[in-house]
Amino acid sequence: MQTTHIRNFSIIAHIDHGKSTLADRLIERTGVLTEREMKEQVLDSMELERERGITIKAQTVRLTYKAKDGELYELNLIDTPGHVDFTYEVSRSLAACEGALLVVDATQGVEAQTLANVYMALEHDLEIIPVINKVDLPSADPDKVKKEIEDAIGLDTSNAVLTSAKTGLGVDDILEAIVAHIPPPSGDEKKPLRALIFDSYFDSYKGVIAHIRLMDGLIKKGMELQMMATGKVFEVTDVGCFQPTPVEVPQLAAGDVGFIAGSLKNVRDVRVGDTVTTTGNPAPDPLPGYRGVTPMVYCGLYPVDSADYDNLKDALEKLQLNDAALVFEPETSVALGFGYRCGFLGLLHMDVIQERLEREYHLGLITTAPSVIYHVHTTAGEMIAVDNPAKLPPPQNIEFIEEPFVKATVIVPNDYVGAVMQVSQDKRGEYKSMDYLDTNRVMLIYHIPLSEIIYDYFDQLKSTTRGYASLDYELADYQPSKLVKLDILLNGEPVDALSTIVFSDQAAYRGRLLAQKLRELIPKQMFEIPIQAAVGSKIVARENVRAYRKDVLAKCYGGDITRKRKLLEKQKEGKKRMKAVGSVEVPQEAFMAVLKIH
Amino acid sequence: MEYDVYIHIPFCRKKCSYCDFPSAAGHEADMESYTDALCKELALKSETLSMFGKASTIYIGGGTPTVLPIPLLARIIQTVQAVVPTSENLEFTVEANPGTVTLETMTMLSTLGVNRVSIGASVFDDAILKRIGRIHTSQDIRDAVRWARAALIVNVSVDLMYGLPGQTMDILKWSVGSSMDLAVTHISVYGLTVEDGTPFAREKATGTLELPSDEAEEEMYDYLSETLPKFGFRRYEISNYARHDFLCRHNLGYWQDRPYFGFGAASHSYHNGKRTANTKDINKYINAVGNGESPAHTEETVTREKHIEEFCFLALRTAEGIDRDKFANVFGCEVENLYQKSIDDLKSKNFLEETTTHFYLTPLGMKFGNQAFAAFLL
Repeated sequence: MQTTHIRNFSIIAHIDHGKSTLADRLIERTGVLTEREMKEQVLDSMELERERGITIKAQTVRLTYKAKDGELYELNLIDTPGHVDFTYEVSRSLAACEGALLVVDATQGVEAQTLANVYMALEHDLEIIPVINKVDLPSADPDKVKKEIEDAIGLDTSNAVLTSAKTGLGVDDILEAIVAHIPPPSGDEKKPLRALIFDSYFDSYKGVIAHIRLMDGLIKKGMELQMMATGKVFEVTDVGCFQPTPVEVPQLAAGDVGFIAGSLKNVRDVRVGDTVTTTGNPAPDPLPGYRGVTPMVYCGLYPVDSADYDNLKDALEKLQLNDAALVFEPETSVALGFGYRCGFLGLLHMDVIQERLEREYHLGLITTAPSVIYHVHTTAGEMIAVDNPAKLPPPQNIEFIEEPFVKATVIVPNDYVGAVMQVSQDKRGEYKSMDYLDTNRVMLIYHIPLSEIIYDYFDQLKSTTRGYASLDYELADYQPSKLVKLDILLNGEPVDALSTIVFSDQAAYRGRLLAQKLRELIPKQMFEIPIQAAVGSKIVARENVRAYRKDVLAKCYGGDITRKRKLLEKQKEGKKRMKAVGSVEVPQEAFMAVLKIH
Repeated sequence: MEYDVYIHIPFCRKKCSYCDFPSAAGHEADMESYTDALCKELALKSETLSMFGKASTIYIGGGTPTVLPIPLLARIIQTVQAVVPTSENLEFTVEANPGTVTLETMTMLSTLGVNRVSIGASVFDDAILKRIGRIHTSQDIRDAVRWARAALIVNVSVDLMYGLPGQTMDILKWSVGSSMDLAVTHISVYGLTVEDGTPFAREKATGTLELPSDEAEEEMYDYLSETLPKFGFRRYEISNYARHDFLCRHNLGYWQDRPYFGFGAASHSYHNGKRTANTKDINKYINAVGNGESPAHTEETVTREKHIEEFCFLALRTAEGIDRDKFANVFGCEVENLYQKSIDDLKSKNFLEETTTHFYLTPLGMKFGNQAFAAFLL
C-alpha cells in the first residue's frame, strides 16, 4: 500500500463516552471480522477490561476501507485507554499516529479527561476530528456540545461528525472524515529503517511480540535487526498486523503499523519507546521515543506464601514488558517478609496490576496501603525521597517534609460548585480558578496534595456531586506540609506494613478510624488483640479484637458430611488470605484498610 | 460388611426458631403417602442391603419421627425390621420430641424392637423453651423419659442446648441436674448457632435476638465439658457424653468411616466410595419413589484425597481420635507422611496429642475443633 493511502489514528475519549463501541462499529463496517467473530468490544480483549468496561492496554487493528473515491485505504486504529491513570499509554499510542478521533458524549459534553487527552494529541501535532457520539439519545444536545468543544478546547467543529456508535449512525461519515482530514504518514521506505516500539507483549510460543510503527524503511521476514537503545540484535521471524487477530504480511513499510517477533526471549531486550533499525544499514539517530514515565503511587506487594517470591518477580517482569509505567524493586518488611515495592500511575493502575497478578499468574498477594513519594529534608541537609512510610527517618532527624501536589481539574454542573469547593478544602486543596464552560457547566482548578487524591478525593467528589464531577490531574510541584507517621501496633508490636504518612492535624482522627476499621477486619483469634494507633510514642487510638471463645461445629445432621466439609473449606480458604504478623493472623484487606476509612 | 441405616422423617408439628434442618410443619396430609414412599424405598433396597451385609445400627431421625401417627410410625419400623438384615447386637434409635409422645408411643417402640430413644429436651426452662419455639414444657421432658423407662427402654439420651436467648449459667445447671435426676444414659450438647434463613437469623438482623455473650457461652461450654464427666458421663465425641458403654454407636459410625444407607427425603448415604443425598423436597421424594425413580438428588465420588481428609477430620471428633494403624491399612501410608506440618502446628497450639496408636484432640483442641479439622484438608 502506498503511504498516501495509509491513515494512522487513535480514538480519544473520556471514560464511558463510547470509544470502544465506536471502535467495534468501525471494525464491523470495514468487514475485518465476520459477524460470528464480532463480540462486543473486540478490542478490549483482557478479561479484566471487559468486566470493568474500560480499556487498559492499547491495542491495534488494521482496517481496509474502500472509500467513496473508489480507492482502498489502510486505516490503522491504535486504541487508547480512557482512564486518567493510563494517560501515559495514551501518549504512547498517539506517538504512532497522525490523527485522532475525539469522541464526546452528546449528552454529557466535555469532561476533564477529554481536555487532558486533547492537549496531549495537540502536543503530538495530531489532526483532530471531533466526533459527537450518542446523538440518538433523547437528551443529546450536539450543538451545545459543539459549542463547548469550541469554547473550552478551542477546536474548530465545522468538520465534526455526529454519530451513534450504538446504532451505527454516522459511521461511514467518520471513515470518510478519516480519509479526508487525517494526513497520510510521511516516511520514506528507501531510508534506513526506523520503527517505534509502542507496545509489546509476551507470547509463550513466539517470545516477545513488539507492536511497531515504521517511520522510515521496511521490514521483511529474515532481516537482521537491532534495538537502538538496548543494542539487542535479532532475526525477524514473524511480520504481521492485527486484523484484529494477528495476520502475517509479507512486509511492513514506512507508515505502516504492525508487529514483529524474532529471537526475543528476554523481556528486558524490548523496551517500549525504543527504535528498531537494521544492522546492515542502521539509521544514524533513533526516534525521539517517549518522555520517561514517573510512577506517582507506590505500594508493597508481598506474596502470601513466601515460596511465591520468585514467581511474583517473574510475573512482574512479564507485566512490565508491556507496561513501562510499572516499576518495582525488592523490599523487605518486618511484618510481611520479602516482597516488592511497586510504583504505579494511580490507584486504578495499581488495582489492575494486582488483579492481573492474582488472575493471570495465580498469586496470592498482600498489598500495602499506597503511598506517594515524599521529599524528606533531614537535619543533615540531605533530601531523601521516601516512597514507603516505614522508611521515614526518625522525627528528630527531619527538618521538614515536602509532599507532591497536583493541579486538579474538576468539571461539574454549577449546582455542585459549592460541594466541590467544600470537598476540596477538606482535602487541603487550594483554590486556583473557576471558569464557565457554558451556562451551567463549570471547570474548577485546585492545587491539592496527591495523597488526598489517592485517599478518597474522587470518591467524595462523586458522592457529593451525585456522580456528575469528572476529574483529571497532573503533577504540579512539591511543597512543604506538616506530616507525621501514623504507626499501627498489633498486640503491642508495630507493624511496619500498616504505617502511613498523614497530615499532622488529622493524625489522631485518622488513627481512630483506622483502628476501628482494623478491629472490623481482623478476625477473632485465640487471644485478645489490642490495636493501637500511635504518632511517635503517643498512642492516639486503641481498639480490641476480642479473643475467640470457641470454634467448633455443632450437630452433624444425618450423615451430611458434605455440608461440614464446605464449612471447613471456607474456613481454610479464609485462612489462605491471611498473613501471620507475629502471632496475629491479619487478612489481606487489613493492609488496605487505610483507604477504606472515611 | 457392617453398616448403619438412617431414616429421615421430615415432619414437625412446628418448626423451632433456630432450626435449619430439613423438616417442615403443616404437612399432615403428606404423612401417609410419605410413609408409603419410604416403605417402598426400603423394600427396593432390600436386596442391596442383604448383599452388603448386616446393619449394626438403625436410627430414625428428623424432623420429628414421633409426630407421625402411631400406626404410620409402627409401619415404618416393621418395614425396617423386615427389610434390613440386622446384626445380633442391634442399636435401634428413634428420636422423640417430648411434646409428641405418650406411654403408648414408647410402648409401641419398645414392642417393635426399638432399644434407644433420643429425646430433644433442649433446656429445662419453660420460658426459654417457648422463646426458642419448642412445643413442649420441661414437665413433658420428664414424662417422656419416664414413659420410655416404663416401656422398658433403658437407653435414653437427651439433647441439651446452651447459648440460648435468656439462658443463664443457673438455668444450664438446672438442666444438667434435671437430666441427672432422670438417670439418662447419654447426653448430647449443642451450642446454639444462628443459621441463615431461620427466624432467629431474622431476629438477629433486626436486633431483637438477645444471646448470652461469647464469654458467657464459653463458660457454659466449659461447665458442660468439665461437669458431665464428674457425673460419670464420658466425653467420647466433641458434643456427646455417655455413661458406661452407652455410646451412640450410630453416631460413631459417621466419625469412624463406616458405610451408611439413608432412606427418606434429605437422607444421606455413604457406601462404595460414594456419597449420595436424596432430594429434600417431600413431594418430589414421594413422586420419585412412586414412579419407581431414584430419589437421589446428588451423588459425589469420594476421591482418595477427600477420603483421607474426611477420615481424619471426622475421626478427630471422637475422643479416641485417628487410629494410626487403621489409617495405614486403608490408605497405605502413615498419617505423618501427609500431615506432619499440620500435626506439628496443632501440637504447638496444644490442640493435638499423640500416642503410639492414635492422634487425638486435647480438650482445647476440641474447643477449637474447626481449626484442627481444617488443618487436615489437603
